[in-house]
Amino acid sequence: MDELTATFIDESRTLLAAMEGGLLQLEQADAGDDNVGGIFRAAHTIKGGAGVIECRFIEAFTHIVENVLDRVRAGDIPVSPGLVSVMLACCDHIGALLGVLVAGQPAPPQEVAAEGDALRAQLGQWGDDDGQAADCADGSTVPLSEAVTASGGGVVSSDAWHISVRFGTDVLRMGMDPLSFLRYLTTLGEIVTIETLADAMPDAAEMDAESCYLGFEIRFQTRAGKAEIERVFDFCRDDCALHILPPQSKCSDYLQLIQELPEDAMRLGEILVRIGALTQAELDAGLAAQAQPTSVEFDGDESGARAPLGEILVGQQAVRQEVVDAAVLKQATVKDRKIAESRMVRIQADKLDQLIDLVGELVISGASTHLFAQRSGLSELMESTSVLSRLVESIRDAALQLRMVQIGETFNRFNRVVRDASRELGKDIRLAITGGDTELDKSVVEKLGDPLMHLVRNAVDHGIEPAAVRAERGKPHQGTVRLNAYHDSGSIVIEVGDDGGGLAIERIRAKAIARGLIAEDAVMSGAEISNLIFEAGFSTAEQVTNLSGRGVGMDVVRRDIQALRGTIEVRSTEGVGAAFCIRLPLTLAIIDGFLVGVGSATYVVPLDSVVECIELQETTTGRNYLNLRGEVLPFVRLREMFEIGGDVPARQNVVVVQHAGQKAGLVVDRLLGEFQTVIKPLGALFQHLRGIGGSTILGSGEVALILDVPALLALVTSAEEKLVSPAPSRGRPSGTPDSQHLILQPSE
Amino acid sequence: MSKTIFLVDDSATILMSVSAILGKAGYSVEKAGSAEEALKKLNAGAKVDLLITDLNMPGMNGIELIKEVRKLPAYRFQPILFLTTESQQSRKAEAKAAGASGWIVKPATADDLLNTIKLVLR
Amino acid sequence: MTHTQAPSAGAAGAAALAVTDDMTVYSARARKEELLSALAASTELELDLSAVTAIDVAGVQLLILLKREAAAQGKTLRFSNHSPAVVETIDFCNLAGPFGDPMLIAAHSAG
Repeated sequence: MDELTATFIDESRTLLAAMEGGLLQLEQADAGDDNVGGIFRAAHTIKGGAGVIECRFIEAFTHIVENVLDRVRAGDIPVSPGLVSVMLACCDHIGALLGVLVAGQPAPPQEVAAEGDALRAQLGQWGDDDGQAADCADGSTVPLSEAVTASGGGVVSSDAWHISVRFGTDVLRMGMDPLSFLRYLTTLGEIVTIETLADAMPDAAEMDAESCYLGFEIRFQTRAGKAEIERVFDFCRDDCALHILPPQSKCSDYLQLIQELPEDAMRLGEILVRIGALTQAELDAGLAAQAQPTSVEFDGDESGARAPLGEILVGQQAVRQEVVDAAVLKQATVKDRKIAESRMVRIQADKLDQLIDLVGELVISGASTHLFAQRSGLSELMESTSVLSRLVESIRDAALQLRMVQIGETFNRFNRVVRDASRELGKDIRLAITGGDTELDKSVVEKLGDPLMHLVRNAVDHGIEPAAVRAERGKPHQGTVRLNAYHDSGSIVIEVGDDGGGLAIERIRAKAIARGLIAEDAVMSGAEISNLIFEAGFSTAEQVTNLSGRGVGMDVVRRDIQALRGTIEVRSTEGVGAAFCIRLPLTLAIIDGFLVGVGSATYVVPLDSVVECIELQETTTGRNYLNLRGEVLPFVRLREMFEIGGDVPARQNVVVVQHAGQKAGLVVDRLLGEFQTVIKPLGALFQHLRGIGGSTILGSGEVALILDVPALLALVTSAEEKLVSPAPSRGRPSGTPDSQHLILQPSE
Repeated sequence: MSKTIFLVDDSATILMSVSAILGKAGYSVEKAGSAEEALKKLNAGAKVDLLITDLNMPGMNGIELIKEVRKLPAYRFQPILFLTTESQQSRKAEAKAAGASGWIVKPATADDLLNTIKLVLR
Repeated sequence: MTHTQAPSAGAAGAAALAVTDDMTVYSARARKEELLSALAASTELELDLSAVTAIDVAGVQLLILLKREAAAQGKTLRFSNHSPAVVETIDFCNLAGPFGDPMLIAAHSAG
């Protein structure tokens, strides 16, 4: 596929999404002219692009859609649910046609074509023939005059066209040079003679050098038709006086021309004779006849009464009317301006990835240089490398910013999902989107589609109650599904909520026990029980629908989110609603890390999650928590966790980390400082390692493991929970049994 | 010395196709995806022999761009063409009132485009 | 812009002036004032057009205006050393006759 086609497809898909969004908005509320304008413009641009790449089947279909939309925009067709449905189907069809183009097929396959025909038939009810009529009306206002027949006597001897033009005084200020037009004439034919008239030019004192006062009388030989000649003057026609007489025009036509022109009749006559339009005899006869009150007659021909062939002078009134129209339209366009759409430069994703890779290498070698500089102790070198580090940091940020996209586009896709699904289920559900302008890495967004789809469908299907139940509970008839996104300390949080029935805690508990996920006598909070739905094989749907009853449950969603180094949890209040909260890192590629050492190994803690560093007071032997200013802080010893040998140094440090409101300490030997690093995914061999999120290469060439803070926190808290309720759980036992009651109060 | 034509259109497809045609015909081409970007470039001193702009653009539209460009001393008398598809006389009149020289009706053939450019280039 | 050359020997009040820049609408207003005052300051003016690389309709009508003013004031105005651009344009507008100045560098009419 050539680049132009690729651009067209990419652009059209974006426009289709915008169109779909606009249509859904149209249905929900009267969004005003801006919205209809935007929908129309999208269709219009797709059609234009299809014309450019000469994809006729897209162009033809979109043209019909555009015509109907144009009439909607003009107010000729009212917005109705029926219209929106058909238009949405048309969007789908255009998408299908784009697919045909992508597949390189010359024409749509039969089923797609049949779909198109059906839609055309449906669009027919809003009549698409007006557009074509309008096109014709605009085409040429003056009929071609190739059928000028030589009618014997009364015809002047010349066989050239005669063009008489007086340019408007403002023509130069309109960015036109009249000479350019006249020179262009020579590409259509040959200028036999030309006469420049400056009669309209005032005295030197009044003459404005930026105004144009010139006129031209031109004899022009060409095979071109009148319309073609006229077209040369199209751009200045509104304010110039133009007369075009075809070859072999009658004398009377010239005489009428003389009368209509501003210059003196005698002088014009001379000019016409000089340039060969008329002979002296013809002129004399004509002027003599004019002097008489009777109608002009030559050689017995009655042509005087005939309308002038070349008359295309635009009446002053018409011009004024247009100025009025323009003023009205100006107000309309001010409104258009409000529709702010994101402007973007299109670049291929792999080019961007390459750049990010290079920036990653730059970050690593920059960090390495910085380490060497520090070791060297040369202050000037250190100073210069720290400047360099700052620049690298800026470049990294800017490069990553390139990959950032707003999540709104992803969110908006669900408008359609909710609309279609709720209709299918006979529920009235609205989708409320907030935080659509929140940005996150494109690679994350791409992988977020499936889990979000699952959650939204789940909310529509199982979350929102049937209308009868809602009425019983005193809830509004219309259910609401919410999509929200916001940034929170180095993470992005995405919420999928609904005002439906919430999770049935007791049912979940019963099921979890039945499945052997928890012990029968396990003491668990409602929140903990709710989050059991993320366990493998868990499904609460009582009836299987074709929407989300796919048998796969929330475990798949959680796995998808975890693959993005994210976490998911659910908050639910029975009868009021549920909210799924997804927390994701902003980017997968590069992190600011905090380097720590344990034994001979080096680890990287994502800096976003580091709260503070303190020295470990070894007074709490055997207990895996400490008192942090009166707060209980569970901790994990990395030395034990990763089974690192070697002597424990006299002084150990605790790195306090935080994620999603939970805090824990990581006990390490040494604190090595901040370090910018590129995440390299772990090989399959290491993927079972808990608490490790990836690896990176240090400036020294050594490999350092990147700690997965959320996973570590989960380990720490589950270890502590086990002390509270020794239900079946993963993780190795830690802590002492006698400390189980202490988890809720300060230890010392 | 080749003439420089400045294209302003929010459609990447149009920008790419038109600049390909112009480049092949020996013109230098400057591009902008929005009126705001175009103004920025012109204010920065881009030398342009002809400006071609779309009218329907999000943000600042073509009409407003034309008005702004006409205020720049270096562009007071430069030719400005606008791209239009709608056969709307009023739109044309409005653009002309804003100071446009002429128009190109989309979809235009390469010949239409080049001929119109030849017609108005100073 | 423009600058006056050494007055031609002989004729009193005679001056020679060279237009050293383009004759387009961009400079038309300034050019008009310069040329009109040069004309006012002399009885016989020779305008050297050799350095005019671009001329548009504004330049053409300025030349027409000067000729007209000169005639009205009973003065002599000659255009000389027409640059190729000026020759081409004057020729195109068929003004060589009305202007009446010999155009020496008319390349296309050399044969």
